[in-house]
Amino acid sequence: MSLKTTSQEALPGANQSQLAYDHNRDGVDRRGFLKCMAWAGTGAFCVIRGGVLRSYSMSRLAEMDPKARAKEMMGELSFAQISDSHMGFNKAANPDVAGTLKAAVDKINGLAVAPEFLLHTGDISHLSKPEEFDTVDQILKDAKPKEVFYVPGEHDVLNDNGQQFLERYGKGSKGAGWYSFDKKGVHFIGLVNVVNLKAGGLGTLGPEQLEWLEDDVKQLKHSTPLVVFAHIPLWSVYPEWGWGTDDSAQALSYLKKFGSVTVLNGHIHQTMQKVEGNVTFHTAASTAFPQPAPGKADSPGPMKVPAEQLKSVLGITDVNFIRGKQALGLVDSTLE
Amino acid sequence: MRRSVSFAVLSAVGLLGMSALTAPRRDLAADAAQKAESAEVKIDNFSFGPATLTVPAGTTVTWTNRDDIPHTVTSSDDPRVFKSKVLDTDEKFSFTFTKAGTYPYFCSIHPKMTAKVIVQ
Repeated sequence: MSLKTTSQEALPGANQSQLAYDHNRDGVDRRGFLKCMAWAGTGAFCVIRGGVLRSYSMSRLAEMDPKARAKEMMGELSFAQISDSHMGFNKAANPDVAGTLKAAVDKINGLAVAPEFLLHTGDISHLSKPEEFDTVDQILKDAKPKEVFYVPGEHDVLNDNGQQFLERYGKGSKGAGWYSFDKKGVHFIGLVNVVNLKAGGLGTLGPEQLEWLEDDVKQLKHSTPLVVFAHIPLWSVYPEWGWGTDDSAQALSYLKKFGSVTVLNGHIHQTMQKVEGNVTFHTAASTAFPQPAPGKADSPGPMKVPAEQLKSVLGITDVNFIRGKQALGLVDSTLE
Repeated sequence: MRRSVSFAVLSAVGLLGMSALTAPRRDLAADAAQKAESAEVKIDNFSFGPATLTVPAGTTVTWTNRDDIPHTVTSSDDPRVFKSKVLDTDEKFSFTFTKAGTYPYFCSIHPKMTAKVIVQ
C-alpha cells in the first residue's frame, strides 16, 4: 500500500487508494511550500461517512454560521489529540516549546465543545529527561480535560528503552506500554512502535504486541468503532525518512472486519490524511516545530519558519465521535 | 557500557599484564597506542558521513552530532560492539577499534540511518 501523493483535496468518492487530503502539495518551491504550510495551518475539519472522509478547512469552518459550526462539532464523544510536544527542544525552529504547548492547551480550553479527554501521541519530551516530562505534566494540568492518554515517541524512550515512560504513564498497560479502553461505545487502542528498532528498519510493533492486538479485538462487535493511536504512522507516509511501521500491515489485517477504523499518529509534525477501505489515517501536527513535507528537504529535521508563521504550522486535533453514524469528525486547529 | 580501549588502558595492560601477554603482542599494542590514529564521522541531515569509514586497527573514531535532533551511534551486531548514549546537538562519542573487521552501526532513534566502519 504505497502512498500516492496527489494535490487534490478530500472529495467525496475520491479514489480510496490515494491520499484523500494532502495539505502539502507537490511541485512547489520553498516559498510556495511555506505558503502551503501556512495554509495547512488553518487546519481542517474532517468527517468520515461510510468510510469516505470529508474535510473542511478551519478557515471555512470559521466562516460558517456559528449554529452550523456548533452542529458540526456536536456528538456524543469528543476528544483532542496533541502530539510531539518535544519539551526540552530549544533550537531555532522553536526556542519556546513550553509556550506553544501552553497555547495548545488554551486552544483546547477555548473549544466550543469541551473535549472529554486528551490523547498525546508521543514525543512528550525531547531527550527523555525527568524535568521535561514534569514540565509537560504541569502544563497539561491546566487543560479542562483531566484525563490524558499517552503512547511514547522515540524521544520518550531514550537510554532506558522506555522504563521511565512506563513508570510515569504505563500503569495498567502491557509490554512496552500498549493498552486499550472504551469510551461510549468506541474502542481505543494505544500501540507502541518506537522500541527495539532494527538497523535499516522503520517503526516496529513486534510479535508480542501483534498477538495482544489480535486478541484484544477478537471479542468486539464488528460495528464497534475503533480508534487506534501510535506515535509513528501506521501507514507508509515516506519510508525513506523512516515514516512508516514495518509490521503495520499485519496489525491492520486484524481490523479489517470492523466498519469504522480511525488511525491517529504523530511523529511527522504535519497533518496528513488518507482513506483506505474502512480505515482513515490521520497524522497530527506538532505543538513544538514543523517538519518538511516528504522528500521536500535533505532530511526530516526541524523546519525553520518565520516566527510569525510558527503558530500557524503547530496545532491540535479535535476528534468528535457521532454515535449512530459511525463517524469521527476531525478538526485540525492551529495555535493562532 | 563503553568498551573502548583508551591509551591509558593500553598502557596499563602493557605495564601490569606483562605475564599474560607475549612480547610481540605487547609491542603491537604499544605501537597502535603510540600512533594514536584518529578519525571523525559527522552526523548531518540524518546521515553519517562518511557512510563507510576505513581505518587501521587501533584507530579511535569520534562521531559528532551536528543535527538539531538527537541521534545515537549503535552497533548493529548482536551482541552490540558499541552503543553511545543519546547525543544531543554537538555532542560527541568515541570508540577505539582494536580488531580488524567490519562494524555496521545505526542510529537507534532513526534506524534508517545506517553506516559502517571497516577496520584493517
